[in-house]
Amino acid sequence: MPLSIYAQMTVSGALIGLIYALIAYGFQLTYATSKSINFGQGELVMVSAFFSLTLVDLGLPYALVVPLGLLFGALLGLAVERAGVRLALEQKSEGWILLTIIIGLFLFSAAENIWGRDDRPFPTPIPSDAFQVLGVDVTPLEVSVAVGVFAVMGLIELLKRGTLLGKAFEAVANDRDAGELMGISATRTVMLSYGLSGAVAALAGILVSPITTVGPTMASALVLKAFSVAVVAGLDSGFGVVLVGMFLGALESLASFQLGSGWREVPGLLLLILALAVRPTGLFGKAVIRKV
Amino acid sequence: MLVVENLHAGYGLSEVLDGTSLEVRSGAVVALIGANGAGKTTTMRAISGLVRPSRGRVLLDGAEVQGMEAARIARLGVAHSPEGRKVFGPLSTEDNLLLGAYRHLPRFFGFRARAARDLDRVYELFPRLKERRGQPAGTLSGGEQQMLAIGRALMARPKVMLLDEPSMGLAPVIVQEVFRTIRRLKAEGVTMLLVEQFARSALEVADYAYVMERGRIATEGTPDQLRRDERVLAAYLG
Repeated sequence: MPLSIYAQMTVSGALIGLIYALIAYGFQLTYATSKSINFGQGELVMVSAFFSLTLVDLGLPYALVVPLGLLFGALLGLAVERAGVRLALEQKSEGWILLTIIIGLFLFSAAENIWGRDDRPFPTPIPSDAFQVLGVDVTPLEVSVAVGVFAVMGLIELLKRGTLLGKAFEAVANDRDAGELMGISATRTVMLSYGLSGAVAALAGILVSPITTVGPTMASALVLKAFSVAVVAGLDSGFGVVLVGMFLGALESLASFQLGSGWREVPGLLLLILALAVRPTGLFGKAVIRKV
Repeated sequence: MLVVENLHAGYGLSEVLDGTSLEVRSGAVVALIGANGAGKTTTMRAISGLVRPSRGRVLLDGAEVQGMEAARIARLGVAHSPEGRKVFGPLSTEDNLLLGAYRHLPRFFGFRARAARDLDRVYELFPRLKERRGQPAGTLSGGEQQMLAIGRALMARPKVMLLDEPSMGLAPVIVQEVFRTIRRLKAEGVTMLLVEQFARSALEVADYAYVMERGRIATEGTPDQLRRDERVLAAYLG
């Protein structure tokens, strides 16, 4: 039944697309407060996955591995902010671009030396036996990806909209100096956003590892796609990255099924080029309202 | 309350403040007047920490605050309403006001209830802001944005309020309204340092005034003394 195969491809592609969306969301978090992003975000995903795998190997229960993995990711995010971003921002330079790339390369080499170059499976207690939903096979593992992504993004969005701290985030993004005059420390806000972004990267690593594997290069393709998703959706729309991420994931999966796996990367790149040519602020990017 | 001693500050290699000293007593309104480029705005920015002074002291209730991060000085009770108003455009009018009270509100939940009384006070002072409470601040008119900037500073329940050019770019009717507000705040006992182009109006509300020239205080005195000073009269009140 060809139709159900297409449906199958669409659904499992879209689920991987949610991982792109989650990593893209990590870009958005730091961009919102500081107009900077961590170009080594993929290495944060990978190193956090390795760290979590080590905890699993040590025999820790999954319920403990996940929060510790997230905490580790958050600490890495804070380290990236301190080492690669803060000074550059204070001097209003673009040095963070190079510095975050360098930190990423450093983490990559460190991971190769500590954990080796081989891809390793990530054991998980979540079963991978498929069940059928409307004629499409879905595994609990894939469901866990969707639940994890939506839960964390939903929680962060709720906090951003409903708390004073969230409004302070937005204020600093809008005008750093004016935010300072309210008593909101811009430095602390940027730190917090990098911490959150690191935790989000770690979550992406933990969620995707059981589906793919854990290895030094596991995130390089993911992060490229995530970057396309962030640019296509716009760097300020959390809702947009989910839609674009799922769309891209599904498109890739269909392309590689129909045209051969060599074509897998093509739709994402085409989408990126198209978006930059037609709508550089992103499909869901906001036009800035300004009145003087 | 607020004491500035021999303050030097500038941007890069150009020194704008060349030993400014002034004092604002509790409950007083002090005006800082002078020509464009004399260093009035830089004085304010050096007090609130947006510019780091290279020399000199800023004392708030006797404690040195110069060199601190601006956010920390704000949390100590200095509310600076900056030149050009600088409201948070994409945020609603009410969110702008809530952020003004950031220094004494809980960060996560229950901040609305805690801010209710301060909000009512600002809305009573500026009924127009209440009408526009849900509107993005960037879509307000210039006069409304100025009221929002003053209201936002009041929300902090500041020890001292720095008002930089509150009349800038506003229609004469609105300027009068701004000065009525300043007079009313003075009657309520709000301590203010006021920078103004309209020296005449500023002297009408002020208890004491400083005249700045090239980064220093050239003359100072009560408004009456300054009005009798031939030089001040010719240069700023002519």
